[in-house]
Formats: sequence, structure tokens, C-alpha cells
Amino acid sequence: MTSRRAITASIAGAALFAIVASGCAASGGGSSDGKITLSITTFGTMGVDANYEKYMEENPNIVIESTNLEGGGAARDDAYAKIAANTGLSDIVAIEEGWLGTIQEVSGSFVDLRDYGIEDVSDQWLDWKYKQGTDADGRVIGAGLDIGPQGLCYRGDLFEAAGLPSERTEVAEYFGGDDASWDRFYEVGKEYVAGSGKAFYHNPSFFWNSFVNQQEEGYYKSDGETLNVEGNDALKDQLAMIVDAEKAGLGAGLPGWDVGPQAKAGEYATYMCPSWMLGIVQGYYDEGTTDSGWDFADVLPGGAANWGGAFLGVSESSEHKEEAAALALWLAAPEQQAASFELAGPFPSTTEGQSLVADSTNEFFNNAPVGEIFSARSEGVIAQAKGPEDSNIQDNVFGPIFDRIGQGEITDGDKAWDEALVLLDQLVGN
Amino acid sequence: MTSTSTTSTPSNTLENRPTTKQPAEKRPSTKGRSDLTFRQKLSHFDYKASPFLYIAPFFILFALIGVFPIVYTLNVSLYDWHLLKGQGDFVGLANYESVLSDPFFWNAFGNTVSIFLLSAIPQLFIATVIAALLDQSLRARTFWRMSILLPYIVAPVAVAVIFAQVFNQFTGPIAGLLNLFGLEPIRWAFDVLPSHIAIASMVNWRWTGYNALILLAAMQAIPRDVYESAALDGANKVRRFWAITVPMIRPTMIFVVITSTIGGLQIFTEPKLFDGRSNGGAGRQFQTIVLYLYELAFPRRDFGRAAATAWILFLIIVFAGLLNYVIARAIRTNDVKPVRIAKPKAYLARSNNGGRK
Amino acid sequence: MSTLTERLTPVTPERREERRVRRRTGYEQPGLLTYALLFAFFAGAAFPLWWSFVIGSRQSSDTNLVPPAIVPGPNFLANAVEVFATIPFLQALLNSLIISTAVTVSVVFFSTLAGYSFAKLRFRGRNGLLVAVIATMAIPTQLGIIPLFMLMADWGWIGTLQAVIVPGMVTAFGVFFMRQYLVDVIPDELIEAARMDGANMWRTFWHVAIPAARPAMAVLALFTFMATWTDFLWPLLVLGPSNPSVQTALAALSASGGQTPDNSLVLTGAVLSVIPLLILFIVAGKQLIAGIMQGAVKG
Repeated sequence: MTSRRAITASIAGAALFAIVASGCAASGGGSSDGKITLSITTFGTMGVDANYEKYMEENPNIVIESTNLEGGGAARDDAYAKIAANTGLSDIVAIEEGWLGTIQEVSGSFVDLRDYGIEDVSDQWLDWKYKQGTDADGRVIGAGLDIGPQGLCYRGDLFEAAGLPSERTEVAEYFGGDDASWDRFYEVGKEYVAGSGKAFYHNPSFFWNSFVNQQEEGYYKSDGETLNVEGNDALKDQLAMIVDAEKAGLGAGLPGWDVGPQAKAGEYATYMCPSWMLGIVQGYYDEGTTDSGWDFADVLPGGAANWGGAFLGVSESSEHKEEAAALALWLAAPEQQAASFELAGPFPSTTEGQSLVADSTNEFFNNAPVGEIFSARSEGVIAQAKGPEDSNIQDNVFGPIFDRIGQGEITDGDKAWDEALVLLDQLVGN
Repeated sequence: MTSTSTTSTPSNTLENRPTTKQPAEKRPSTKGRSDLTFRQKLSHFDYKASPFLYIAPFFILFALIGVFPIVYTLNVSLYDWHLLKGQGDFVGLANYESVLSDPFFWNAFGNTVSIFLLSAIPQLFIATVIAALLDQSLRARTFWRMSILLPYIVAPVAVAVIFAQVFNQFTGPIAGLLNLFGLEPIRWAFDVLPSHIAIASMVNWRWTGYNALILLAAMQAIPRDVYESAALDGANKVRRFWAITVPMIRPTMIFVVITSTIGGLQIFTEPKLFDGRSNGGAGRQFQTIVLYLYELAFPRRDFGRAAATAWILFLIIVFAGLLNYVIARAIRTNDVKPVRIAKPKAYLARSNNGGRK
Repeated sequence: MSTLTERLTPVTPERREERRVRRRTGYEQPGLLTYALLFAFFAGAAFPLWWSFVIGSRQSSDTNLVPPAIVPGPNFLANAVEVFATIPFLQALLNSLIISTAVTVSVVFFSTLAGYSFAKLRFRGRNGLLVAVIATMAIPTQLGIIPLFMLMADWGWIGTLQAVIVPGMVTAFGVFFMRQYLVDVIPDELIEAARMDGANMWRTFWHVAIPAARPAMAVLALFTFMATWTDFLWPLLVLGPSNPSVQTALAALSASGGQTPDNSLVLTGAVLSVIPLLILFIVAGKQLIAGIMQGAVKG
């Protein structure tokens, strides 16, 4: 009986403890003893956390509380849920380019940074980046953090073995340099396949992405509202090109992500690399590898393109808008962007930030001068109007189509296009 | 035991006992406690009101935390409600119509049923077997019984990593095995049935031990002497299992079947984690109804239709649950409540010491 | 356990048969097949956890090894340190402990109370209300999340532990579970007898129902604790960074590795998060199993 009493007592004690403790734990956040706590939500590896310490040192009355979500998708869902419930957004929210279009629809949830001095520093950014963060009414809701200018990652060793040039400036020339075109890209691909017997790339969806981003008008027309897919011959032709390339064996039929083992096995030789992709490819290998054979060239078929990039927005529901805006603008300033780049790799969107990192090289990618290359690659990017369903179309309309192309289930360009249109109608049409 | 009271009030006698409002006792009290009217009334109140008091906490909390979301969701489902932009026009049942005529919904429905059957049926069978195995006097009993719960405590995030690797079309152990025998690789994440098998495996791995323990608790409540008597009558292990164990754990089995059904129709975590970037596969190969709902709500931001889907799912689950219950009752040989100890009683009567230790 | 009378009866062939049968029933040891099967189940249950530990102690790229890696490496301690450095793991553990304990105690108590009422007490509308309880299990949680979130916001509970504890304090599952168990386990006569003896409803409940319900209560407590410990979606939405639970902290861990998560680190975190539960198993396991066993003794 004593054991039973002991159990009862310990359970009662535990319950009491729980209630008391939860009461204690409940107090937290807000402002206590004169300090202001600012909450910030980021995702993936943006490197922003490199800068928190410094800010808190320089501003001792500010405490930064950060949440880092595992990816853009989780961050998007989290932001949506909190906007929908009209509460719970942190003071500062990191917004990704992919769903920025959707956020623009409810841009009222974020403050107009012009009220907090962003116009004074507006020219520090690349103008297309600044424009992206501006909504239809001219309110600037996002301070640009990083951008994703794209270059071409390639396996120098495999290129050489297949009889192609392998030094990066030569490679850039080989693809056409500033006039690099997609036709040329797929031509080179066929050469590679002939010379090596292996696939040229692992999944075509990345190339598709780049192509779409290079257009004046992407999935939406410039008004950001009208769909631009049906009847879009440019897109249709590119899709047909990809289908043909797959039939010629250029594609390895792999999924888009998590293809590390195949990279190491040399099953493909190129990778579409926006700045943040460098970290991903590197992550496929053990830390400290320097002889992977990967290199990075200053070229992109079709011209300049940007993929991704984040912004910092200050939520309207914040209780400390001034301080939050100050922090956001500070985090987006050139120096801090450079520090983030050092830590995690996202490329600065401010020209000064870019010059600060101009000398950086990447050991993994054969000491490629990435700072220079990305600066060069970010010129001439078209600020395309993104609509609300952009990422939806990308992921759920064309994504499945590419999977099926890669698996060999669709072998005709027209058929691929028709199926895409059907999906589009079902998902977006209503 | 209350002590006999001799001092309190003189109204201790038979004549003074009130005739109204007797509590529902079959036999008059013979213990001699003072029968105050007040106390009898209190007792009667206690008897009548207590059940409601006891179930009240559940219903109160549920009214606060459960009813509000349900009613809110019903309300949302009747409007053209954009997740971010808020309430739009009233559209009545249009959302329901649209969902029920959406081929993606029916695809999700088919997937859900398929995954459910692939998981619930093996699970029930294996869980019963495990429970029966554990019901014996084993060595290191605690260890075996606790070990089957191990899968349940592994964090969802880790389960995703583990099973994504097991079912990796290119680099997983199964792929390696197939390769060894020169067989075609199975496209676990791409083909429909393999993906269902993979997900059902995840569900089974996680939940079988859980259900086994529930069944074990029920099996342990069966008195051992019943088995003894049956054994004396010449029944072997298997016969004892079917003749005694299974009938006597029927309420619990019904419980497991119903909760598995409800859970199975709501499967979300496993398919979501299997391919974290999509909502049930790029081609919706393993999109369950709840994933479909999630896709409507978040990426597609159509809150109205998502709410309608939730209500449709609710009705499906209620229907399935009722169906389960009706079937279970129909194949029961006798109603458990009144003849609860009928069978064992017969055995008990014949065994040596009446079944009591 | 042969009685004196049995021993004194002559050993006829029938008696010998009886003895043989008796040996087959309660006193025999479970066979090799039983243990083999149990070991197979155990291996299937435990291997993934072991593998998590192995990968956690090696490096992420070992995830893809075929045949799977089974020998641990040297990195576990280093990874564990990194886990504690990257996320507020200790606080997360404490939070999860508080939440799980509070919810478990509450659920077991209220479920036993309500389950007992539905099982043994007679009152108006009992069957209808029971069906209502079961029906509530049918509601998928994923959609109720946003309205519930709004409710928590209205009450100012976002970021607090109450927001996770209170919605979980009574579950339909618990009520249904206890009801099914108690329906058979408590003979009606026992309750009648208690009331004859002058016990009111509460004492009947406390002294008759609860002892009989102990095995099921133990199981329900275990389940509830584990379910709350591994709950992910709701705490993620409602707790802030200053108040993580173990699972949300783990998710943050899988984020810190960039676009391709550092599997080794994540699995280290997962193993660490399982350790408190394992300790609970070991410490309380014997008690819980004893609780389940007691149910077998009662007639």
C-alpha cells in the first residue's frame, strides 16, 4: 500500500509542479525592465543570425528572439496561418521571393517601410530587387536581403573526360558567353552524352525555372494578375525542347533534390546554381572536400536570371514597429549582408554588399571567384511581375509534368504542354 | 464501513423513516445509520447528478475548445473564403459541390482508403498476435512489453528521415537488395501502390505496438482460471485463444477497430513527411484526404473549400465508424453486458476453488 | 498448487492425464517460437532507433550506405554538444516534461471519471452522449487549428504552455478507452454493494472504480504522455521560440543545416529526445506493468 500512496503522492506533486511551472513559464516576451524584445522568423540558412549578437551589443536595450523554420515552405505556411488568424506574426518576418506574390495580395499585413526611412537608403539595393519588395500601391513592404543570381555549376573533371573544355572561362565561352542560348546548351549536352555515356543534368525543372524567370513576363502578365500560360509559345517551345533533351538522354531521371549519392557517382555533370545552391551541392559531400571536381562558370543560357531571394518585412501587428523596422533595415544593410554571405552563402542584394564580398572564392568549387561571378550574373536581371499563384504553378502544375518526363512517361512536347494546361485549369483556373 | 450511530437523533426507528423519496435501493438498509430526510435527499441528488458532473469536464472543455472550431469551420465552408484575404461572398453549398466533383478529391479518397486498408488490417492482426504472445508468463516480461512501444516514441522528424532512406528508390537498402538480384528498382515515391505500401509501413511500424498494448491490457483482465478450466477440458492454446480470449476482449477490439478507422481516414503526418516538398507526391500518388485539405488551405489558400472538405471527411468518418460498430455488433454472438461473466462462470463453477485466490 | 486432497487421491491414468494437461496450461514456459517472434518484433521496433544512434554518431553521408551502417562512430558526443548549442534543448526538455505531465494527469483523471459514468452509471441520454463523444474523434485536427489558434490569441495564450496543455486536457479517446475497459471489468454487484454500505457516488468511484481501472489508467497514462511528447503540429504553431517543446526544437535543428538538413545532427537530436522517455520506461515501467498485471488477479 505504501507504494500506491507513493505513486499517488508523486502524481499529485507532479501535477502541482506542472501547473505552477506553466504559470511561471507563461511570463516571457514583451518588454520587461526597459528592454524591448523583438521577434524574428527566418528559414533555412539565411545567415542572418550572424548579425544578431552585434546588434544587441550596439543596442543594449534590444533583445532579439529568433525562430528559424526548416525551409521556405514551412515559413510560408506559418506566415499564412498567422496572417489568416490575424495574429501571431513575429515583429520581423522573412519572406521568400517564391511566395512574395501571394503576400503582396495581403500586403496590408506589413508596414510600409517608407515610413521608417527606407527611401533614404533605397539606392543601396539593385533596383529590380527594391522594386520586387514594393506592392501595387507603391508601399515598400520588404527590405531585400539576398538574391539568387544564377551561374552554371559543372564537373570539370567529367567535362574533360568527355572531350569538352574544363576551365571555367573556356566553359563560359563554349556555351556562348554573353550570348549563351538554350539551344546551344542542349547541343553541348548532346555532345557530353556522346562523349561520356552519362546524363548531362539530373532534373530539368531547374532549367525550366531559369527560363521562366528570364522572360519579360513569366506565368503572369505585368499586371501581376492575368495568367500568361495558355497560348504562351515561348514556354511551350521550351517545354518541347526539354522533352527532346530527355529523349536524347540528357536527363538522369532523378528527383530534383537529395541527389547527393548520384552526384558523387558522377551520374550528371551540370547543376543550375543560384547562389544558395552552392551550399546545397557542397552539402552533398563530406565537409572539407576540395577535389570533388565541381567548378562554377560565369554563364547562363538565355542570359541573366534570378531565382529566389528573401526580404524582411515588419508586421503591422508588431508592438514595436519603430525598433523592428530599424533592426530590419540594419540587417538588410550591406555590411550585414556581407556577414551573412560569409556565414551561409546567400548573395547580397546591395551593390555595396556585393563589392564587400567581391573577392570571395569558394574552395569547394575549385576556388571559383564566386563574389565576382555572382555580381556579374546579377546584372541584367529582369524584375518580373509575380502573381499570387506563381509558386503553385511552378510546383504543382509543371513540377509533376517534369517528374513524368524524367521517368519517361511523357515523350511528346505537345502532350506535355496539354497536360500542363489541364493541371493549370484544375488548380488555378477556378 | 460506517459505524452504527446510536446517539445522533432519536428518529432512529422504523416509524420515523420517511416514505417519500427513497433512493433506488433494492433492500432496506440494515446498518442502522440515522435516516435523515436531508441525507436521503442528498444521496438521491448525489446519485442523479453525479454522472452529469463526472462527464461535465469533458463536455465543458470540448464546448470551449472543440465546438468553436467546428462551428467556425462550418461557417467558413459556406463562403468563398480566401485564407489570407478573409471572408468573401456567401456561396452556400457551392464549395461542397466543387469538392465532390473534383477528381483530385476522389483520388485522395481512393488513396486514403487504400492506405487505410493496407495499414489497419495487418495492424489488427499483428497487434493481436503480439498481445497474445505477451499475455503469457514470460521472462523479462517488462522488457518485452515496453519494447513494442519503442516506435511510438521516435520523433516524427526522425521517422521521416529513417523511412525516406529505407524506401529510397536509388540508395535504400531495399533498392540495394533488388539490385543484388538484378531486379528492376521499385519507384517508391513515384508509383501509386508502392508509395501506399511504404506509407502503410510507416503507419504500421509506429502504431502496431500501441494497439498491441491496448489489447494486452484487455487480455490481462481475463482471469487465469478460465484458461485453466478450459485447459482441463482439453482445449489447446489455439482453441483457448479463439474460444476465450477473442470473445472476451471484444469491446476492446471494437475500440481498436473504431479508433484505427478514425485515425486511418485522417492520416496526414506520414504521407506529408514521406515527400516533404509536396503534398502527397508530385502527382498526388499518395495524397490522402487530409493532405488534400491541407493543400487547399495553405498552398492554394482556398479556406472555404478546405473547410467543406473537413466537413465531408467528418461525415465519412462518422459513417465509417457507425458501419464498423454495426458490423461488430452483428457478428457478436451475445451481448456482452448482461452475460458478461456467463461463460467464465460456468467454468468457475466447475473448477476447484470457485475462481477466487 | 495441488491441494492435500488431490495428493491423497490415487494416481490413476485419468489423474496422470490431468496432471499432464495442467502442466500444459499455466505452468509451462512459453516456447522458443514465442521468444523468437518477440525478438523479431523487438528488432523491427528497435533497429530504426539504433540506426538513428549510429548515424548520429557518424556523419550525414553515411545515411545512404547499403547495407545500412550498424556500427556506431565517434561523433555522438560532439554532435550532442552541438545540439545543445544550436537549440535551447534543455528548456525544450523541461517544457515538454511539464506539458506531458500536466496533460497526462488531467486526461487520465477526467477520462476515468467520464468513462466510469458512461460505463456503469445510468442517466438520461447516456447512449446519445457517448455517441457524441465518439463522434468528436472524427474531426480532423488540421482544420480546426486556425480557429483554435484565433481563440488562443483572443485569450492571450500564444507562446505560453497553457495553449498546448488546455486543449489537450480531456480527450474523447481517453473517455472511450476507459469506458470500454470499465464496462466489463467492474461487476455491477460491486457497485451496488458499495452503495449498500453507505458510500456516496464519489467514494464508490474512488474506492471501487479506480482500483479496478488501474491497469487501463496505467496504459492510458503511458499513451497520453507519449502522444503529448511527440505532438508536433500544434506546438509548432502556438509556441514561440522562447518556449519550444522537444519536437519543435528538433524541427528547428533540421532547419539549421540549410536546405539539405544535417541528418547526423537531426538524428542525434532525435536520440536525445527519446532518452527521457526511455528513462521513464525503465523507472516506471515495472510499476506500469505491475499495474497491468494486477488486473489479471481480480476476478
